[in-house]
Amino acid sequence: MNLNNYALIKAATNIISGFSMVTLIVLGVAYMSFKNSFVYQDVQIQIINNPVTGDKDIEFAMIGSKRHDCASTRVYGTAYSEDNRAIILDRFSKQYIYNTTPGDAIPNSWSLVKPKEIIPGMYRVSITGEFVCTYIVFKQEKIQSYDNILLIVK
Amino acid sequence: MDDKKNQIITEQVERWDLYARLTPTAFLLSSIILIIFDIIDFETAFYVGLVGFAITAVVWWWWAIFTIKYLITTLNRASKNLQEVNQEVKAITQEVKSIRDES
Repeated sequence: MNLNNYALIKAATNIISGFSMVTLIVLGVAYMSFKNSFVYQDVQIQIINNPVTGDKDIEFAMIGSKRHDCASTRVYGTAYSEDNRAIILDRFSKQYIYNTTPGDAIPNSWSLVKPKEIIPGMYRVSITGEFVCTYIVFKQEKIQSYDNILLIVK
Repeated sequence: MDDKKNQIITEQVERWDLYARLTPTAFLLSSIILIIFDIIDFETAFYVGLVGFAITAVVWWWWAIFTIKYLITTLNRASKNLQEVNQEVKAITQEVKSIRDES
């Protein structure tokens, strides 16, 4: 190998190595940012038919924006009574939109059947969502909860 | 002794140079292949890369510190020797001048 070829190969490997390093750093930072981000930002969830009477379902309304493309795989609520009993709410009488578009704040709503264990009183409801999120070449399962939604049952 | 040590440092610099040129590309390509064939996920590649990066940074840091210390010691010794030579040349010049004046 003559000197010119050697210098050319050395320069080429330097450039390729530089681009590889930049790619690794950009992908690493993007992955960290994606991994640590919440599914929903500026999110608000509330029960819109408080107080819930009789056999009526519990109606939820939500607004929030998503940064990444996330599809929900499971959503359920947990109602905590004043004596700290936990009651799972997972029977949907009206479904929510599973895969809202990322970017703008999009309203979403759903209704859950009121279980028989829920007797009149005040409850704190937590809504938990399980999601599969994708971003560039990354895919990640995420869980996000929204706590302290007041439920009044009469 | 110095020549041997200098040779060792030159070889180490060449090894670092080769490592810097090959490792990022080799790691990127091998990670892409392993992720495409579903052998590892991106998270594993990310943490392997992070650990490799951290180990490289620490090893390089200590190598650089010891090498710089050695270079400064060598530089100081060379500077001291030069000063001594300078003093001796001055003394010889003075002696030659006085011999010339006497004759």
